[in-house]
Amino acid sequence: MAATKDKVYKCLNPVGIQEPVDTFPLAPRLNTLDDKNIHLSICGEPDITIPLEKRLKGDYPSINWTVKKTYNINPVQLTEEERKTTDGVILGVCW
Amino acid sequence: MLIDLTEEDNKVRHDALIYGVPEMRFVSASRRLPGPEDVDNILGSILEGLTRPLTAKEKKGGKWAPEQPRILFEGTLEEAEEFYNQTEKIPGIHNAPFSMYTDGLPVVVPTEERVEDMLRGTSHKPDELIVYQRDEEIAMDAARFSHRRGEVVQFMPMFRTATVEQVAVNAVMAGCKPEYFPVVLAIAESGGGTGDGRGGGGAYLVSGPIYKEIGMNVSYGRIGPGNPPNKTIGRVGSLLWRNLGGYKEMVSTIMTYGSPVTNGGFILAEYAEGLPKGWKGLNEELGYKKNESVLMPIRAGTWGLGQEHMPGVYRSLQKSGHGGIARFLNVKGIPGPHNYLDFITDGIWKTMEGGFTLVLVPDMAKDMYDFGFKTKQAAYEYIWKKSFETVKEYKLRGRPDYHTNGWTAIEKTSGKHWRELPDDYMVPAGGDDPFGSYNIIVCDGQETASQRFSGGHGPAYSIDAWR
Repeated sequence: MAATKDKVYKCLNPVGIQEPVDTFPLAPRLNTLDDKNIHLSICGEPDITIPLEKRLKGDYPSINWTVKKTYNINPVQLTEEERKTTDGVILGVCW
Repeated sequence: MLIDLTEEDNKVRHDALIYGVPEMRFVSASRRLPGPEDVDNILGSILEGLTRPLTAKEKKGGKWAPEQPRILFEGTLEEAEEFYNQTEKIPGIHNAPFSMYTDGLPVVVPTEERVEDMLRGTSHKPDELIVYQRDEEIAMDAARFSHRRGEVVQFMPMFRTATVEQVAVNAVMAGCKPEYFPVVLAIAESGGGTGDGRGGGGAYLVSGPIYKEIGMNVSYGRIGPGNPPNKTIGRVGSLLWRNLGGYKEMVSTIMTYGSPVTNGGFILAEYAEGLPKGWKGLNEELGYKKNESVLMPIRAGTWGLGQEHMPGVYRSLQKSGHGGIARFLNVKGIPGPHNYLDFITDGIWKTMEGGFTLVLVPDMAKDMYDFGFKTKQAAYEYIWKKSFETVKEYKLRGRPDYHTNGWTAIEKTSGKHWRELPDDYMVPAGGDDPFGSYNIIVCDGQETASQRFSGGHGPAYSIDAWR
């Protein structure tokens, strides 16, 4: 029994395969927001996102705002064309 | 810029790494302040985040590749037990300990020999990736997903994949025997109870002859302790979620509060021998043959789980029209069969939506058949139709804002936009369709009590494909 108790076992890893992830720098920041195309991507929490949209558009009229909204967890994706012409994105509220 | 809610910061940092943008800028909104006041607080930070110059760290790219050794630990069994049962403190849950490799319970140490033994339970090779065995389309809340045969299964929340051997490691840890392994692999194919990352380990129904082959209890005490296959296979989902998916509360996932139904494992097999003539088994309902074994994940989070009433009250109802249910149905003194569904569905959708799975014993199923439900589908349709209410009433509920995507979606029974429907239009509170929202299975026993939990029919996974 002593021999069994002292026996060394190789024990396997229960963790799944994590593919390596390429990590990217943040997109360059903007020098100014004036006349820029900023996209507001809304998903959920209307208590916050309704006044947020109102304030952004009201307080920053020099920004060209675009908005897409969903109640779902996953935000509505921008099209390839929209990505080319969008200077910045605000995404929220995440949940 | 990203806006989260206060206690989600660790998860946002975690997800930002998984998506390859580890330095993602974000601000935290409040869960308590009224929206306009909250916006006052965060508005400046949001816009400043778009213009503030990047730091050297934020400008840096690279690769994240965690080490993943096949052999995780070498030592005596005693040392290994200590290793696998270790915990870490997680600040998001008040520094409570959280198991690093288990569901919180002690596990069987997955030695190479034990895993090898487990692998004898399948013809699939240890290094095979877990892939879907057939095409499938899945509806989940407001979203739809599909996958193709041969596509690699991803385990959430960390989008990981797994080999047959890695599933076997978890099966050993759960205490499964090799003969259970095809069921475990079908669970893995179904996503391993990981869901969208908040799967909770899942809950499962088994249909087909395998229940008898491996000794699953389909009779008295079927959801109680004591039966190794029910207990250990049911437990597997929690381990797959933790280990394959990478679930770590308040770090990789925020799952709200969990469910006592799935905590500890939940699996139930159908006793097809008890079905009334004409009623199909779950496997046949899902497009398989009577002699094929399948697994169907369920979302057994609500509607309760225990018996609905005292068994004797039901017997009195059907035998002689006596007792409380007979009085409820206004059939006092009249022998059955009576429509039990009218009793168990009255008022149930008042503040809840969706359908449920009903577990009946053979005598109760026969009573339903004798009353007039010659197929299970007829019963599903009957229940579903009882759930209809006006759009005006439906708008007062807690979940449809989400299900209808802010009332912008199509109402499925009419094919029209929700906003086009008049207030008096009748819509189902009990799910989108009878088959998808309801399910009846028969388990053995002579105590005439039913059990009920949420969810109807969903995608099925062949257990035989994993033999």
